[in-house]
Amino acid sequence: MKAEAKVEVQEKIGGMAFYPGCSLDGLGKAYEKSAKAVIHDLGIQVENIKNYNCCGATEVKTVNYDLSVFLPARNLALAKNMGSGVVVAPCNGCVYSLSRANKAVTEDESTRQRINGYLGKAGVSSYDGSVEVKHLLEVIYQRAGPQAVRSHVKKPLSGLKVACYYGCLYTRPKVYTGAGLQEGKDNPEHPHYMDDLLEAAGATVVDFSAKTICCGGGHAVADREVSLGFSAAILNEATRAGADVVSTMCPLGHINIETNIPKIIEQYGDAIVRPVMYFTQLLGVAFGHSRKDVRLADNFSGADTAMHRLGF
Amino acid sequence: MPIHEKNLVDKDRLLVKEEAKLDGLDVSGQWSTFIEQRILGDYSTDVLDAVASTPAGKTIVNCWQCGTCTAGCCMHTDFGLREFNPRYFIYLAQKGAEDELKKYAPVIWRCVTCNKCVERCPKGVRVEEVVHSIEGYMRSKGWMGDTPASRWDEAFVKNTLQTGVLDELALTRSYVSREKLAEFNNRFMLRMALKLVRTGRIRTGPLRHRVKGWEKVRDVAKEILEGGGEG
Repeated sequence: MKAEAKVEVQEKIGGMAFYPGCSLDGLGKAYEKSAKAVIHDLGIQVENIKNYNCCGATEVKTVNYDLSVFLPARNLALAKNMGSGVVVAPCNGCVYSLSRANKAVTEDESTRQRINGYLGKAGVSSYDGSVEVKHLLEVIYQRAGPQAVRSHVKKPLSGLKVACYYGCLYTRPKVYTGAGLQEGKDNPEHPHYMDDLLEAAGATVVDFSAKTICCGGGHAVADREVSLGFSAAILNEATRAGADVVSTMCPLGHINIETNIPKIIEQYGDAIVRPVMYFTQLLGVAFGHSRKDVRLADNFSGADTAMHRLGF
Repeated sequence: MPIHEKNLVDKDRLLVKEEAKLDGLDVSGQWSTFIEQRILGDYSTDVLDAVASTPAGKTIVNCWQCGTCTAGCCMHTDFGLREFNPRYFIYLAQKGAEDELKKYAPVIWRCVTCNKCVERCPKGVRVEEVVHSIEGYMRSKGWMGDTPASRWDEAFVKNTLQTGVLDELALTRSYVSREKLAEFNNRFMLRMALKLVRTGRIRTGPLRHRVKGWEKVRDVAKEILEGGGEG
């Protein structure tokens, strides 16, 4: 009873646990800085999960099932100990793996017992699958929304044509993420949260049919032919739709597309290439942060010079 | 007659006639292709039993072969690798046609885990996990060796277990040099490293995230790996 009341209070003051994952501490630093700036501006409070570990992404589960549930479950148990009812993850892979662990421990009694046994040995309290997992984009949309974004815009992204790329595991599969089944989740086949937020920031969002196709990031290095082909397809479609930039929301997809660009230019020419940036970098610029604040120079795809050229 | 999913038929069983005339009427083209008949009787229930008993593969029993997974599969449809057919993998596993299944060892590992199949399956089959479970069974039987993806996944686990947090640069560097990927040559890696140094993203120094007491968690993780875990 007491614990429940505590969770409710945390929810009310907006106390959510933030799970940065591995990327945001390394390659995706621009995503972390810009995301933190944007949610701070919008008055959304999050607290980092202390001592978090890698969630195992989609790789660990092909090696060992129990390990692929244990790693994310440890993070969720830590979040629960903080009194948080919600974990916010900025990465599609993390959202997938954390919500998959939730499902695994709630749907199967023997899995829960095994995992709790491991958690006990690792010195973490047991976990029952009760912490909700949300993507950063969903949280910004639900807690602030287009209205609040509009009121925070200092430098509208007028004239900027954006293709919003959501990627695979943001809403998929619904059996884990609850998209399309629960309140407060994006549409799994036609996600629109990023479109709405960037439109509110003044950008023109182009009709982009490659929104949810795969970028090949799961095999970014292991299967070059596939990841190169899909990355090229996404950029090509963004170009065809008339976009100036591609906006992303997953560090893996972002880095996969960006690091493929030199090879794409070599194979298909540079006419189909567009700079790639995190949606929080675009929102950050619209909220009046400088290009340096949102670390546009971090991007491998010439995002900084492109935004400068476009007058931002 | 026109043959649906012709790629699923062995090439040597496809009989194509250059010219076919029926009662003086030219019926060549699509209509001149025939399949040589064959009879398969060598089924084993082991495959289905093994896959259905894993937590990842348990939903295989729900499949009713509608093919929705394959219609949206990004490897099958977008990438155009017709041999990558999750519906057929499940069919062969359910039926226990081991010899047929073995033929797909060269392609079954290429699933990129986009989960469109799981999203759309009307019967709640977690296709992507089932396919990986079938792949795991095939590997355990020695029908296929390790693959670029399985070597990556193993390296991923090894890297993660060192400190509790993935170091994607170290993982990429070691994988690329072991696999001798020409594309990620020294020039590419150096350019990337320079950029990362310039933007302060090399994972060193006191600011980097560390998992306190990771040794204890790592011991549990190693125990899970050694005990085989489930699946």
